[in-house]
Amino acid sequence: MTFADFALPFLPEILVLVGVLLVLLLDVFGVKRIEVFGSITVGATLLALLFVVADLGFLPFAALSTVPASRIDIPLAVVGTPLYSFTSLGFVFQAIFLSATLLVSLASMSRSSYEKGAGVFYALVGMATLGMLLVGIASDLIFLLLAIEVTAISTYLLVGYTRRDPRSLEAAMKFYVIGALSTVISFFGASLLFGAYGSTNLYYLRSVGGAVGYPTLILLGYGLLIAGLAFKVTLVPFHAWAVDVYDGAPSDVSAFLAGGTKKIGLFAFFLVFLGPVLFFTTTGTSNPFNAGVLNTGPIFQIVLGVLAVVTMTVGNVLALMQKEMKRMLAYSSISQVGYMMIGIVIATSPAIAGATLQIFSHTFMKTGAFLVVAAVASLGIGPLISDWKGLGQRRPWLSIAFALILLSLAGVPLTVGFVSKFVLFSSAVQAQGYFIWLAVAGLLNSAISVFYYGRVLKVMFFDAPDPEPEATVAGPSPPVSERLSMGGLGYARASTIALIAVVIVTFGIFPQVILGPIQSAAQHFLIAGP
Amino acid sequence: MDLSTLPIIPITLGTLAAGTVLTFASGRWARWVALATSVVFLFEIGLMFLGYTSWPGRSSSLVPQFGEYQSYSWISLSWLQINFTVGIDGISLILVLLTGFLQIATVVYTWNETKRPAAWFGLVLMTCLGSFGVFVSLDVLLFFLFWEAVLIPMFFIIGYWGGPNRRYAALKFFVYTHVASIVMLIGLLALVFYSGASSFDFSSISAAAQGLTGIVPVVLFLSLFFGFGVKFPIVPFHTWLPDAHVEAPTGGSVLLAGLLLKLGGYGLIRWAVIILPSTLTRVDPILFFVAFLSIVWGAVLSLSQRDLKRMIAYSSINHMGIVLLAISLNSALGLTAAVLLMFAHGVVSALLFMGAGTFHHTYGTRDIPSVGGINSRTPILASLIMIGSLASLGLPALISFPAEFAALLATWDGLTYLVLIPLIALVVTAAFYIWMMQRVLFGPPKGIPNDAHDVPPAEGLGMGMLAALTVLFGVLPFLLVNVITMSPITGWHG
Repeated sequence: MTFADFALPFLPEILVLVGVLLVLLLDVFGVKRIEVFGSITVGATLLALLFVVADLGFLPFAALSTVPASRIDIPLAVVGTPLYSFTSLGFVFQAIFLSATLLVSLASMSRSSYEKGAGVFYALVGMATLGMLLVGIASDLIFLLLAIEVTAISTYLLVGYTRRDPRSLEAAMKFYVIGALSTVISFFGASLLFGAYGSTNLYYLRSVGGAVGYPTLILLGYGLLIAGLAFKVTLVPFHAWAVDVYDGAPSDVSAFLAGGTKKIGLFAFFLVFLGPVLFFTTTGTSNPFNAGVLNTGPIFQIVLGVLAVVTMTVGNVLALMQKEMKRMLAYSSISQVGYMMIGIVIATSPAIAGATLQIFSHTFMKTGAFLVVAAVASLGIGPLISDWKGLGQRRPWLSIAFALILLSLAGVPLTVGFVSKFVLFSSAVQAQGYFIWLAVAGLLNSAISVFYYGRVLKVMFFDAPDPEPEATVAGPSPPVSERLSMGGLGYARASTIALIAVVIVTFGIFPQVILGPIQSAAQHFLIAGP
Repeated sequence: MDLSTLPIIPITLGTLAAGTVLTFASGRWARWVALATSVVFLFEIGLMFLGYTSWPGRSSSLVPQFGEYQSYSWISLSWLQINFTVGIDGISLILVLLTGFLQIATVVYTWNETKRPAAWFGLVLMTCLGSFGVFVSLDVLLFFLFWEAVLIPMFFIIGYWGGPNRRYAALKFFVYTHVASIVMLIGLLALVFYSGASSFDFSSISAAAQGLTGIVPVVLFLSLFFGFGVKFPIVPFHTWLPDAHVEAPTGGSVLLAGLLLKLGGYGLIRWAVIILPSTLTRVDPILFFVAFLSIVWGAVLSLSQRDLKRMIAYSSINHMGIVLLAISLNSALGLTAAVLLMFAHGVVSALLFMGAGTFHHTYGTRDIPSVGGINSRTPILASLIMIGSLASLGLPALISFPAEFAALLATWDGLTYLVLIPLIALVVTAAFYIWMMQRVLFGPPKGIPNDAHDVPPAEGLGMGMLAALTVLFGVLPFLLVNVITMSPITGWHG
């Protein structure tokens, strides 16, 4: 194997890393303009995205593929295989992660041109992206957790990079403490699993399932991993930090956290938990204190299923009670994770495809939502939902874009959010048996969510604006240091939001374009391994 | 150009959607755009009628076939085949016709709406667009999309233009019908996946569902029955209806009673009875019981109402109970009667609600005992209310008579002496309408304000159209029956 053969498949990762180094270098040499850093990050991300999409085999780009077809989706479940492997589903997730980075980097270019720490911001976003890309190719538990950690550490810093704002600092501190705790828990679980299986290769673990003869170790190991990863993806009851962090962080960073980095935990759930969820035996035991084979399937289906339903319900109910826009969006983000977890509980290829599509659509919707919040804050409008009164008259296009995003989050037809929920809930019914209850719970929750999204629409479009909206500003809102184009939003942010709106509608009407590749990726992912 | 080869249903959906959007956008010209859309819609319905005698509906194959059939692939995965499939048979066509008539009548009746007229007419058109979509779609997802698309405008119609208690009524309407929609959707999805149908298309589901055995089809049928039944509405899930009707503006009541209740009946026939006919015979005691309960309960409660609108609302429950009874009989005559009755009830209840609305404007109250003898002061209004009431109680030569007669005949065929239950209930219905007419229309004048005028022209025109239909199809019911029997169900049951 020549060096090129070895390195070429990592081209997306290398591109992102080069982008980060370039940004840091220019920062050291005294470049100050945010447009420069932004362009570098956007360019690197866009190129990386192009190659990832090429690896997925989309026709116009397929010739650019850097990973030979013989290395994608091949069985890998041996005790001592390499730490990474290439799967189509991994590429799908890499594409999702890169989209989030792209949107946030693009939109952030509209911030004040000489803002302090712009280089650091883009370098950290790039490093977090690198970690996310590594999660996409991980095939080893330790490699996976380390990749998550690369992202996590970058995001702790991102939350607090505006050092002057005490709310951001508090959020960063909270995020760091909880994140470190969850990492410790995850690694402890991983070490227990290594004790049981004698390997940390994820596909080997999946192929063995519960059939190793250490029921207690398996149960404890996977249980601790659930807890550790649940912190990352904000499953209830491990969600409490998320609202404060999303609320306290700068809105662009919140967009990146909710739309981008949170999703790595979900892919980690796919990688780690398909084994225990799919392992069913008639001769085994469900009592972890008996020796022998542990029947992990029913245990983890129930545990994860209950977590999913509790998460979507609690997230929704609490979102219903929020008065602040960002907190409402944070709780809605928590409830959406509940929907995505359905895919892991059912673990059929339709369900995985549905959950992946839900993750895809949520990336665009939630990134878009927080970017709009950032845009609205830069217009000098306060953090409360009631402060958005009459925005529909003052900023009609921004309001229409936000309305599209909210409708998509609520799952209204002709948006991508509807398609993803429909496919996901259909897959629950398609799996038959008691999984239908997951579809019922999901649909009821979608009905609840209509109310809090609808309330925002009502405030924006039907409530008359206050005579002097500037007077209602409460809390910190970044001042607009110079008058920007596009009604104060700036071209970059405005075009990002427009792009998101276009994506939401386009894939809502023509979902087949992305559903086909996602479905085939999910099928390959499920049979990867022996 | 040959008109019969046009993809007329997609074109109609397109014009209705475009008309809706234009109406929302056109400010003070909204009423004219809405009227133009309604006229074009009626013209397109006429085109659908052009070729109906040559439909493949009478084919002997088990898989039903449809007129004006169009199918385009939308989502295509190994386990999920969703198409944009539309088509009509006699049942759909009659209800589409009803949609067209009610749309234009509502637009004309509410011509002088002053509260946000653009939004009002837009929502009216959107309701009709959704209903039309429900009647023509032959794909589970498409059907569900249109089904939900009806709910949203009606929620706003009640919640924004409604009476003093409108928020409560709109919310209750939304919660009841949305929960029912969810049960219905799960039932339909389960129908697809448990039967192993190759796509979400009606034809592939109805072919695959023949293989369902055991308890599964029973559970599916009952969940669909609940989902559609709440829209009917069946007792005991009917309580949203009186509140919604009383609070809704007149135009909203017209669409609610005329169209939305029909969606439930149509859905039950299309997606439950035709697909699972053998299951219907297994669960029909439940359906008969619910039907009798609705008939009797609706009639009794109707008798005891003082509010004119509430009385008509409860009589709707009674009439839709008869529809349910006719559907549950699972005979060609029963289904034909059910569809005819739905059309009749759509026209008649719309006329009555319009009459009640005008009555309210004119006399400032809908309280039956406090107003009397209005025929001396407002003879046109009195006559229109009388036509509606007489049609509703089933007077021969008006539209309800052939429908109710056919329904009772089918009930006699299926249940023999149990026909006495709906028959006696019909007597009660007749009683409360006659009693209402006696107190309100005739007798010594009382409670009449000095400035009471007779029907305004727009409202009179709207009601006049419906009254004319009541007489026309009452005298010539075969115009409708001939179309209804052009349906696959006659190929099956005949």
